[in-house]
Amino acid sequence: MIEIDALEFSYPDAGFHLRIPGFSMAAREKVAVIGPSGSGKTTLLNLVAGILVPRQGRVHCAGTEVSVLADAARRDFRISTIGFVFQDFELLDYLNVLDNILHPYRITRALQLTAEVRDRAGSLAEQLGIGDKLKRGVEQLSQGEKQRVAICRALLPGPQLVLADEATGNLDPRNKGHILELLFETVASHEATLLAVTHDHELLPQFDRVVDFNDFRVGAA
Amino acid sequence: MTYRSLAWIAAISLLLMGSFVMAEEKPVIYTVNYPLQYFAQRIAGEQADVTLPVPAGIDPAFWQPDAGTVIAFQQADLVLLNGAGYAKWVSRVSLPRRKLVDTSAGYRDRYLQAEEAVTHSHGREGGHSHSGVAFTTWLDFTLAVEQARAIAAALSRLRPAAKDVFERNFSVLEQDLLALDSQVREIVAVDPDNSLLASHPVYQYFKRRYGLNLTSVMWEPDVAPEAAQWSELRQLLKLHPSNWMVWEGNPNPESVTGLRGLGVDSLVFDPCGNRPVDGDFLSVMQQNVQNLKRAF
Amino acid sequence: MMDSLYIAWKYLSFSKARTATLVACVTLIAVLPLALQLLLAESERQLLSRAESTPLLLGAPGSALDLVMNGLYFDDEVPELISMAAVDAVAASGLATPIPLYVRFKARRFPIVGTTLDYFDFRGLTVTAGRQLALLGECVVGAEVAERLGITAGDSLLSSPETVFDLAGVYPLNMKVAGVLARSHTPDDLAVFVDIKTAWVVQGLVHGHQDVTRTQDAGVIIEQTDDNVIANARLVEYTEINPGNIDSFHFHGTPDDYPLSAVITVPRDEKSATILRGRYLDGDSGYQLVVPGTVIDGLLANIFRIKHMLDAVILVVAVATGLALVLVFALSIRLRQREIQTVFRIGGSRLTIARLLAAEITLIVLVSGVLCAIALLLVHQYSDELVRTLVIR
Repeated sequence: MIEIDALEFSYPDAGFHLRIPGFSMAAREKVAVIGPSGSGKTTLLNLVAGILVPRQGRVHCAGTEVSVLADAARRDFRISTIGFVFQDFELLDYLNVLDNILHPYRITRALQLTAEVRDRAGSLAEQLGIGDKLKRGVEQLSQGEKQRVAICRALLPGPQLVLADEATGNLDPRNKGHILELLFETVASHEATLLAVTHDHELLPQFDRVVDFNDFRVGAA
Repeated sequence: MTYRSLAWIAAISLLLMGSFVMAEEKPVIYTVNYPLQYFAQRIAGEQADVTLPVPAGIDPAFWQPDAGTVIAFQQADLVLLNGAGYAKWVSRVSLPRRKLVDTSAGYRDRYLQAEEAVTHSHGREGGHSHSGVAFTTWLDFTLAVEQARAIAAALSRLRPAAKDVFERNFSVLEQDLLALDSQVREIVAVDPDNSLLASHPVYQYFKRRYGLNLTSVMWEPDVAPEAAQWSELRQLLKLHPSNWMVWEGNPNPESVTGLRGLGVDSLVFDPCGNRPVDGDFLSVMQQNVQNLKRAF
Repeated sequence: MMDSLYIAWKYLSFSKARTATLVACVTLIAVLPLALQLLLAESERQLLSRAESTPLLLGAPGSALDLVMNGLYFDDEVPELISMAAVDAVAASGLATPIPLYVRFKARRFPIVGTTLDYFDFRGLTVTAGRQLALLGECVVGAEVAERLGITAGDSLLSSPETVFDLAGVYPLNMKVAGVLARSHTPDDLAVFVDIKTAWVVQGLVHGHQDVTRTQDAGVIIEQTDDNVIANARLVEYTEINPGNIDSFHFHGTPDDYPLSAVITVPRDEKSATILRGRYLDGDSGYQLVVPGTVIDGLLANIFRIKHMLDAVILVVAVATGLALVLVFALSIRLRQREIQTVFRIGGSRLTIARLLAAEITLIVLVSGVLCAIALLLVHQYSDELVRTLVIR
C-alpha cells in the first residue's frame, strides 16, 4: 500500500530535516508511528497524503507515485484515496454533525453528494453511535463524540488509506480505547489501511506493527 | 372617400356641434330679491333662466337659505346681489367670488346708514359691529337703473354674443324705470313739504331721491300696534304733524281706523322685495305711484 | 456553487452578529445615497409641480420663500399678514382673479386653509363624499386628513387654539365637516379647507353671541349709549355654528381690514401678468407679487447644492466602509486559518476557499440588496409624506 524510498524532506527556513531510507506498509495493515515531538511524524502523514512533496526520493501510495504528481492531481488523489482524522478533530462549529460529515462532498467537485451518500452517512453514523445526533451542533458534543464525527467524515468517501494524527490524543483514557476500537472496526469494515501517529504507548499492542521514528535520522541538516 | 368615412365625419361634426350647443346652454342666474330677478328677466329675455329661491311671503332681506339652496347658488352661472348689506345671509355662506355681481357696487359711496341701528363692541378697545346700511336701494329708481345696468353688463360678459339683445332690453327697462322716476318727482313737486309717516324704516333712498319729508316708526302692517306704540305716535305727531302713513303692505283695519282717529290716512307703497301675488315689479310700482298721488 | 452557498449561508447564520453588522454596513451605504436621490426627486416633483401650477402669489413684503411655503404648501411659518383690501385691489384691476388664502390656524395639527370656492376650481379639487362648503362654520377636509382622523362628511372637527395659553380668549370652533376632497397627492390632501369668513370666525373676528342690544342680562354689558353697547368678556360666544344661531354671526370693524396670509393671483393672460408684476414691483405698494416657480427654483438650487455636498460625504464614507469591510474579511480569513488548513488537507484548493468567500460576499450583498430594495420601496411609498415632513415643514 505504501512504499517510501530514500525520502528526504526539509521545511525551508525551519532547519528541519527528515530522512526516511525506506518504509513500507501492506494493504489493510494497521501501523502505529511513535516518536518524540518534532521528530516528523505529522510530516510523514502529509508526505504520504501528497500535501507535502519530498525534496528527494519517492512516495508510492495505493498504486500511485504521489511525489511526481502535479498539484491538482495530488488533490484528486488525496480526495479519492485518503481519509484524515486529526487530534483536534477539526470540525466546523458552524455546521451541524451531518453537515460536518458531508463537508468533503461540498468542497470538492471530485465527490458527488448523492442521496446514496446521505444514506451511507446515516448508517455510518449509526455504526459509530452518533446516529441520533446528526442534527446537533458540534459544540454540544463530548470530545469522544466529536472524534466519532471526524472518523465518520474521514471514512464516508471510502478511502483506501486512513491517516490518523494523534486521533486519541485529546480523549480521556476510557474513551481512548473505545475510539481506537471503533476506528479499527470501521477501517476493517471498509477494508482500509490505517497509519496512525500516536503518543499513547498503552494502545500500541493493538496495532499490527509499530514504527519508531527514532529509527529515522531527524535533526538539523 | 368612402361613405363610411363620410358617415364618420358627419357623426363627429354632429358631436362637435352638440357640445357647442351644450356649452351655449341657457345660463342660470340666481338672485337675492325680486327687483333683481325682475330686472334680470327683463334684460335677459329668453336668454337665461332667472331664479329667486326665496319662498313667497318671506322678506328676502331676512331669509336664511339651507345648505342645499346655497349649493344651488354656487352652481349658478351668475349670482346677482343687491349689495348695501342686503340679505345678511350672503356673508354667512360660501359663494364663488367670481360669479358674484354686486349690483350696487357702482354707487357704494352713496349708501345710507339705517337710522335705527344700534352697534355693539367687545370691551372699550374693540371695533364696532357692522352698523346697518340701508338697503332698499331700488326705491330710488335712478339707483335701480344703475343696478339694472350692472346686470346687463354682467350678462354681456357671460354671453358676449347676446350683448346687443341685452343692451336693447336694458334700454327699454331703463325707460320704464325713468318714467316712474319722473312720475314720482312730478307728484312730490306739487307739495315738497308734505309731511309723511312711514310704518317701517325702508324708504331711506326713496326719501333722499325725491326730497320727501318722511319720518319712520316701527309698525308691522299685519300686527295691530300696542298702546305704547300709539302713545309714541301721538308724541311724534306733535313734533311732526302728518296726514299720511305710508305702509309696506296692506295695513290691518284696526291700525287704519286708529290712524284715521288721529287724522292720519293710510296708503301702501310696496317695496316689492319678494314676488307680488298679482302683477310684476312695474305694475306694483305703478300702483305705488298712484297710491302716493293721493297724499299730494 | 450551490454547496459553497450552503456552507457560506451556514457560516453567516452561525456568526449572526458579524453578519448583521456587515449587512447593516452594506445596506446603509447603498440606501443612503439612493434614498436621498428618491426624496430629492420627490421633493422636486412636489415643489415644482405645485409652484408651476400657481402663476402668481401676492403677499406682504418679506421672505418670498416663507410666503410661497405657507401659501402653496401650508407651512407652519405664517408670513406677515395682508388684508382683504389686497383682494379687492387685484379684482378691481380686472387683470387677474384673486383667490384669498388665510393659512394660520390648525385643527388637530392639520392646517386650516381659509379661502374661497374659487380655490377648488383653480386646483381642480372635487368633493368625493358629502358636499362643497355652503354655510359659515363648515369645512371640507383633504383625503389624508379624513383618513388619518377617521372623519367623514357629517362629523365635526374642532379648531385648535393658536397657543396653549391663548390670552385673546378665542374659543375653539367646532366645524362641521361638509365633505371630503378627492385625493390629489398635493398638500391639499393634508389640509382642512374653510371659507375665508369661517377662518375669521376661528380667529374670533367674526363671531356670534346673544344680541347685546336687546339683552336683559346687565352682567355682560359695560356701557350702553344710544347707538352702541359695549359688552364685557363674560359674554359667551357660540363655539359652533348651527341653523339656530347662524343669524347672530357678525363682523366687527371693516371687512376690508380682515387679515389674509396671501392671495393667489391668476392673471387673465401673459400681458396681464406682466402689467400686474410691474405694479407690485414698486417698493411702496406694500405688497410683493412673486412667481412661485422662480422662488422654488431658487430653493431647489440650494437643496441640490447641499445634495452634492452630501454625495461627496457619502462617497467618502462609502470608501471608508468598503475598506473596513475588506479588513473584516481579511481578519476573518486569518481567524479561520485552521478551517482553511483542514479544507486543504481534506482535498480543497485555494479556489475552494475563494469560492466560499465569494459565496459569503454574494449572500451578504444579496441580503443587503433585498433590504435596500425594501427600504427604498418604503421610502418611495412614504416619500410623499417624508418630503412634507422633512423638506416642506
